[in-house]
Amino acid sequence: MKKWIMLIMAFTLVFTLAACGTNNNGGILTNNSGGAGTAEGTNSGGDNTGGEKEAVTLRMAWWGGQPRNDYTLEVIKMYEEKNPHVTIEPEYANWDDYWKKLAPQAAANELPDIIQMDLGYITQYGTKNQLADLTPFLNNGIDVSNIADTVVNGGKLGDKLYGFNAGVNALQIHYDPEMLKKIGMDSIPDDWTWDDYKELAKKAGDAGIFFDTGQKPEVFFSYYLRQNGQKLYSADGTQLGYDNDQLFIDYFGMTQQAVLDGGSPTPDFSAQIKGIEDDPVVKEQGISVWQWSNQFIGLQQVANRPLEMHPLPGPNVKEGMFLKPSMFWSVSENSNNKEEAVKFIDFFINDIEANKLIKGERGVPVSSVVKEALKPLLTPEQVKVFDFITWAEENSTQMDPPDPIGAAEVMNLFKTYDEQMKFNKITPEEAAKKFREEANAVLAKNKQ
Amino acid sequence: MRTNALKRHLTGYAFIGPFIIGFLVFTAIPIFASLYLSFTNYDLFTTPRWLGLDNYKKMFTADPKYTQSLKVTMLYVFGGVPLRLAFALFVAMLLNTAAKAIGLYRTIYYLPSIIGGSVAVSIMWRNLFGDEGAINSILEILGIGGVRWFAEPLAALWMLIFLSIWQFGSSMLIFLAGLKNIPASLYEAAGVDGANAVHRFFKITLPMLSPIILFNAIMQTIGAFMTFVPAYIISKGEGGPMDGTLLYSLYLFRRAFVYFEMGYASAMAWIMLLIVAFISVLLFASAKYWVHYESKGGN
Repeated sequence: MKKWIMLIMAFTLVFTLAACGTNNNGGILTNNSGGAGTAEGTNSGGDNTGGEKEAVTLRMAWWGGQPRNDYTLEVIKMYEEKNPHVTIEPEYANWDDYWKKLAPQAAANELPDIIQMDLGYITQYGTKNQLADLTPFLNNGIDVSNIADTVVNGGKLGDKLYGFNAGVNALQIHYDPEMLKKIGMDSIPDDWTWDDYKELAKKAGDAGIFFDTGQKPEVFFSYYLRQNGQKLYSADGTQLGYDNDQLFIDYFGMTQQAVLDGGSPTPDFSAQIKGIEDDPVVKEQGISVWQWSNQFIGLQQVANRPLEMHPLPGPNVKEGMFLKPSMFWSVSENSNNKEEAVKFIDFFINDIEANKLIKGERGVPVSSVVKEALKPLLTPEQVKVFDFITWAEENSTQMDPPDPIGAAEVMNLFKTYDEQMKFNKITPEEAAKKFREEANAVLAKNKQ
Repeated sequence: MRTNALKRHLTGYAFIGPFIIGFLVFTAIPIFASLYLSFTNYDLFTTPRWLGLDNYKKMFTADPKYTQSLKVTMLYVFGGVPLRLAFALFVAMLLNTAAKAIGLYRTIYYLPSIIGGSVAVSIMWRNLFGDEGAINSILEILGIGGVRWFAEPLAALWMLIFLSIWQFGSSMLIFLAGLKNIPASLYEAAGVDGANAVHRFFKITLPMLSPIILFNAIMQTIGAFMTFVPAYIISKGEGGPMDGTLLYSLYLFRRAFVYFEMGYASAMAWIMLLIVAFISVLLFASAKYWVHYESKGGN
C-alpha cells in the first residue's frame, strides 16, 4: 500500500514539476539601446485633410525601462490629440517578457499593429511573413527626404523593408585619458591599428591595469571581417560568409593574447560585472570599453570624470564601420490599419515636438532636420555622440544584412569558444575549425 | 431510481469537474501536443513540419551541447541529492535530540527551502561566491586561498550543488517525522545489550528510516532533474562558464525560447521524462535490497 501511494505521488510530481519548468523568467542581458538628444521641430504629423474620419484603434508594442515607457506614453498622447480619430493602445514590457509575449501573439495572428523590432529578431519575424513591407510607404506615409539611404536600408531583407530605423548607433572605444597616461600615452592616436591595440593591451597588463573589458565576439569579429572585405554570414544566410580561417585565428589569437598578458580580464571577471557602476573604467582599474556610441552617455554619467571616445582601430576603418539601427519600427502583416500605423511611425521619426520628448533615447535620430533641431538642447556628452554619428555617416559603409535565423545559436558558439580560448583550454586554430563546423551546421538549416 | 442515482453521481462529477477540465486543458492536452511537436520542426510562427525521429536522432548524434547538458545534470543530481539527504538526516537527528524550542528550530532550518528556489537567493548566491565574495574571504582566512567559482566549470557546478544542499528543509522535516516514529523501546533494548551510538544508528535508525529515505531519494532526484532557476540566474541564462552549469532544463529552455526550436525542446522534454522515469524505477527496484518495511514484519 505504502509503495503504491509513493508511486502515484512520484508520478504526479513528474508531471506537475515538468509543467512548472517553464514559468520562470530571468534576465537575459541585452543592450538597451538609447542615445542622446533633445529637439526642436518641424511638424509633419497631424494631417489636416478635414472632414470626419473613421475611428481607428492601433495596438503598439515596445520594450524598455520606465523612462522610455513614460515618454512614449506622452508621445502617444500628443499624437492622439492631433489625430482625434486614432486611439493607440500601448503594450509594453521589459526586453525578456516582450519577446516571450510577442512570439505567441505571432503564432495566434494577433501581433500589435506597431511593433518595436530588434535587429536580432527581424529576420525571424520578417521572413515568416509576420511583418509588412514598408517600401510602398516611403515618401508616401513616411517622409524620408531628410534621412540617408544607408539608414533606411538598415531594415531591409532582400528587397523588402521590414522595419524602419528608429535611431542610429555606431561602434566606438570609450576611454579615460587619465588612466591612459598611466601607460605613458595622452590619447589614442588617430590612425591607430590593431597592432597598436596589441601593444597597448600588453603595456596595460604590465602596469597591472586592464586596457579593456573584452570585446563582444559577434560584434567586433564582424567588424574585423568587414575590414578585410569579408562578412560574418553569407548573403543567403546558409553558411559563414568568410572562408579564410586565418582571420578567425588572427582576431581571436589577439584577444586571447590580451587576456594572457593581463591587459583584458578573463571571462569570469567580466561575468561578475553587474552594471556600469562595476565597470573597471568607472572603478579606475581599466582604461577603456568597447561598445555602442549611445552607451557613452551612461558611462560618462556614472564615471563622473572626463572620458573620451575614439573610432575603432584600422586599417580600413571606413570599410569596417557601419551605422547600426538601435531598433526598428515595424508594422505587422496582419494589421488592418497599415496606413494609420505608418503615419504614427512617421510622427515618431520626423516630428520635432515628439522628438523633444524622446531626446534620442532610442538612438541618434535618423532625420538630419530633427538632429539639428535637437542639438541646442543637448548635454555636452550627447553632442559628442551626435557629432560622432555625423562623422560616421561619412566614414562608414552599408551595414551587413540583418542576422540570419540561427544567429542566436552562432552567438552562443562564439561565446563558448571565446571563453575556452581565454581560459587557454583550446588554441585559436582548433577553435576556428570547430566553430566553422558547428556554425555551418546551424546555418545549413536555413537551406530548406 | 435511475435518475436518483444519476443525480447523485452528477453532484460528484460537478465537484470534480473543475479539476477534470483544468487537468485536461492545462495538463493532458499540452502533454500530448508536446509529444506530437517532438516529431516536428516548430518555430512558433509557421505550422509544424513533420520530421519523424530527426529531433531524437540529432540529440544523440549531432548535438555536443546536449551531451554536455546531460553530463552536467547527472553530476548535479548524483552529486547533490545524496549530499543533501545526508545533510537533511544529520540536521533532523540533531533536532530530534533537542527538547526545547524544537518548533522554532524546525522553522528556522526549513526557511532556506522556501526561499531557496527564488531568484533573490540565486542572486545572493552569485555574490557570495564572487571573486571578492564572502565564501572566498572565509577560505582566505582559513588559509586555503580563493577559488574562482566562475572560471572553472566544475567549481561553478559545485556552487549550484551547495545551493541545493542548503535547501534540505523538506527532506529534513520528513526525516524528523520518521525519527519520531521509531519506538524508543528499540533504542532502550539496544542500550541494555551494550550497543553504542554508531551501532544504534546503523542497526536501528537507518533500517527503520529506510522507507523514508527511499521516498526522499525519489522525490529529491525528480526535483533535482528539474532544477532551472538557480542555473539560469547564476549563469545569467547562458549555462557558463564553458557550459559547466548548462543543466538539462536550462538547455531545454534555451532551445525553446532563445532559438525558437519548440519541436526539439519538446523532444528533449520527453527524453527527460523517460530518464527520470527510468531512474525512479531503478530506485524502486533496488528497494527490496535495502528498504525495511516494519508493517510487513520486516524482510
